[in-house]
Amino acid sequence: MSKKRFAIISVLLLVLAISFVSAAGSQDSKVEDKGSLVFYAGLQEDHAAMIAEEFEAVTGIKTEFVRMSSGEILARLKAEKGNMSASVWYGGPVDGIVAADQEGIIEHYISPEAVNIKEGFKEPNGIWTGIYIGYLGFVGNQAILKEKGLEMPTSWADFLKPEYNQEIVVAHPGSSGTAYTMLATIVQMMGEDAAMEYFKKFSPQVRQYTKSGTAPGRMAGLGEATVGITFLHDAIKYKKEGYKDIIISAPVEGTGYEIGGVALLKGGPDQANAKTFIDWVLTKDVQEMGKTVGSFQFLTNKDALPPEEAMSIKDTKLIDYDFQWAGENKKRLVELFSRETSTVAPTK
Amino acid sequence: MTNTRKLKLQSDLKTLANLKNDPALLSVIIFTVALVTFFILIPLYNITIESLTTDKGISLGNYSDVFSMYGNKKILMNTIMLGIVTASISVVVGFIFAYVTTYMKIRFRKLFDFIAILPIISPPFVVALSAILLFGRVGLITRGLFGIRDAEIYGFHGLVLVQSLSFFPIAYMMLVALLQRIDPSVEEASRDLGASRVKVFSSVTLPLMVPGIANAFLLVFIQSIADFANPVVIGGNFTTVAVKIYQEGIGNYQFGTATALAMILLSISISIFVLQKYYVSQKSYVTVTGKVSRHRDLINSNKIVIPATSILVIFTLFVIMMYILIPIGSFVKLWGVNYTPTLEHYKYIFKPKLFQSVITTTTLAAVATPISGILAMVIAFLIVRKKFFGKSFIEFTTIMALAIPGTIIGLGYVISYNKTYSLFGMTIFPPITGTGFIIIMAFIIRSLPVGIRSGITSLQQIDPSIEEAANVLGASSRKVFTSVTIPMIKNAFLNGLVFTFARSMTLVSTVIFLISARYKLLTTSIMAQIDVGRMGVASAYCTVLILIVTAAMIIIKITVKNMSTE
Repeated sequence: MSKKRFAIISVLLLVLAISFVSAAGSQDSKVEDKGSLVFYAGLQEDHAAMIAEEFEAVTGIKTEFVRMSSGEILARLKAEKGNMSASVWYGGPVDGIVAADQEGIIEHYISPEAVNIKEGFKEPNGIWTGIYIGYLGFVGNQAILKEKGLEMPTSWADFLKPEYNQEIVVAHPGSSGTAYTMLATIVQMMGEDAAMEYFKKFSPQVRQYTKSGTAPGRMAGLGEATVGITFLHDAIKYKKEGYKDIIISAPVEGTGYEIGGVALLKGGPDQANAKTFIDWVLTKDVQEMGKTVGSFQFLTNKDALPPEEAMSIKDTKLIDYDFQWAGENKKRLVELFSRETSTVAPTK
Repeated sequence: MTNTRKLKLQSDLKTLANLKNDPALLSVIIFTVALVTFFILIPLYNITIESLTTDKGISLGNYSDVFSMYGNKKILMNTIMLGIVTASISVVVGFIFAYVTTYMKIRFRKLFDFIAILPIISPPFVVALSAILLFGRVGLITRGLFGIRDAEIYGFHGLVLVQSLSFFPIAYMMLVALLQRIDPSVEEASRDLGASRVKVFSSVTLPLMVPGIANAFLLVFIQSIADFANPVVIGGNFTTVAVKIYQEGIGNYQFGTATALAMILLSISISIFVLQKYYVSQKSYVTVTGKVSRHRDLINSNKIVIPATSILVIFTLFVIMMYILIPIGSFVKLWGVNYTPTLEHYKYIFKPKLFQSVITTTTLAAVATPISGILAMVIAFLIVRKKFFGKSFIEFTTIMALAIPGTIIGLGYVISYNKTYSLFGMTIFPPITGTGFIIIMAFIIRSLPVGIRSGITSLQQIDPSIEEAANVLGASSRKVFTSVTIPMIKNAFLNGLVFTFARSMTLVSTVIFLISARYKLLTTSIMAQIDVGRMGVASAYCTVLILIVTAAMIIIKITVKNMSTE
């Protein structure tokens, strides 16, 4: 009865797997004083780990997290609706949170701490509250620039100059939130028609449209790209990690930005702990902790000091970026951009 | 027509009746059907529903969106072209490795064998990163060695290079198991009849390899078009469907479009599968007949061996070059920028909190490996040797598991199993998301198809009369399976185990929705480190990963060897 034995072995192994899993699950049941908290982190891993550790130390609430990209969090929340395993969405651009709210996944919550958050960086109905602001800008490799005899670009107009032909790397707006911020920024600054004219001239200059928004910074760091467009805090981060040739600049015409937010999840366990967590992360001290683990964004708390590394760009001119409009027009603008520049899939 | 239908029905009923007399077979079949139903079909069903759901209710709106969106047709063509080119190159390279190591008298056979499977034991994106560091604009070879200032590795050619390197081991594993089982007397007979070596190769060996080559092509093709990590890292302006699925679903929050694209991708893979099956099932490939067989006379003529070995050495050097960067990268401050030696990356990953993901991944992979390995052989055995109701169903659904992009099947698991299934108020199926169990199931399901295909390929070569003979001589069917069948497909079994473990350790996109605060996996940690530019830390993780998989491979080989010689 060979197959029977194999069947029995397989079943036994499965049972073993299950019991192993449930045994692992029951281990920590003895720690149950202050309860626990799980959050989904849309910002970088080190930051999330540090916040989880600090929060647990301060409150005694056992805190765990899973780090994913914003879109992954949204996809997962949609699938988990009805049986949520996390109660807070911490970090990552707020357009993801807005999309989640349209799915009915977000519990509106106005934190008492929100009074200290600067105007414009919190949603009035409590869908999200801002925790940081990241500026869109330019990144370059000074060694390669020097070798090619080029200046670091300082304006959107610079990118159309012939000397930057095939030297620019930027993510495609169809795949990256960073690049979509660029698209929406240009459209909001110039108007739709002029913006598309701009991109028609801009596109032949581009060496590569990457898929990830952070790739241009990394490629500039390695010298794979001469100049790129990215969020400046990511570029600063790469420089701090040792990519010493990285230089940054911000466009003189003005630039767009992302707001990283925190939101309460509807139906998540431990709602009281979740609110405590949100109130806590909005405070000046906690916001300022970010720079110790390599987060170099500007902060939303009116008393919080931005990281020193970001000081050189603190006077950057920001446009009046309309998140609502950007979110509503995303599908249409991306399609328009792709058609006008024919850039979804050129073969190479 | 009605007659044949009647006959078909009759034979179906007969096999069904036979099943009643064979409870062991029946229970294995039920177990297998349950497994594929719960972990392939139900998630897939939910994904299909998602792809048909639009704001206006159930419709084909998402599909027409896919075809009207700018550039999507081009992306579809790109994907198919990539699959064909990568699969062809992988099969050729895999075949050369398999043929030379099996048929020729060469030195360092073990080394070549190891090199040929090295690429499956490290996460795919690592090869892509190595390719950039070597052949990019500031690559060590392109710029460092040849002084080329403007080399371009991103794009179709870079992607083909990296994918072929990552997937040729699958072709190799499948073909080597097959070549070793070809009865040398068949080839010697034609030699004795006066055929030249070339003639023997082209008219005996090669035709016998057809099922293996077809299966290898199928597996590489499917994995190539469903691959996400490599196109993202090195694809440049070249976009494939798998990437587009991720962009739509995760980047643009358009789940309808993403799932519709996944269904299209799945249908391409299924078409290739059906084509392959139709083509291969035309002929018989039995060569192991149980008659007196002896060891193969290895080709030792220098005229053949020296050029063949040189080709192998070139390939080997290339593979080593791609992989040696990983350990080197883990011992220097920052690859490409600062080459000061350091141990800081290892100090970082060996912190208990960060090392936990290594332990979790290894444990879960270790649980999945024997289950998947044994199950694959049993299913392959059933498919090739037994007639039963639902056979095509099992064969078909298990291959589908490989054809769906990981992100989508992972999402399907969450949609399907993040709720309580109850009957009359009794919980019969609690939510299993967030547990290690669902991750183990994902590991099994994602590696099972390769094990099954390699089991099927090996079994198709073996004349069932050997097993029948043992049966007639009084051996029980258990005895037949363990002492006749298993030893004959030992290599396929071994490869299935090694592949499962390696695959489980390196799975990326499938698990992104399955990891939880308690069960974090190694590959997601590596991805996160690469994203923030910490190549050193990522390399250190990868080095540890390669060491663990190599150790596991040795343990598996020793265990299987001891098992079959008893």
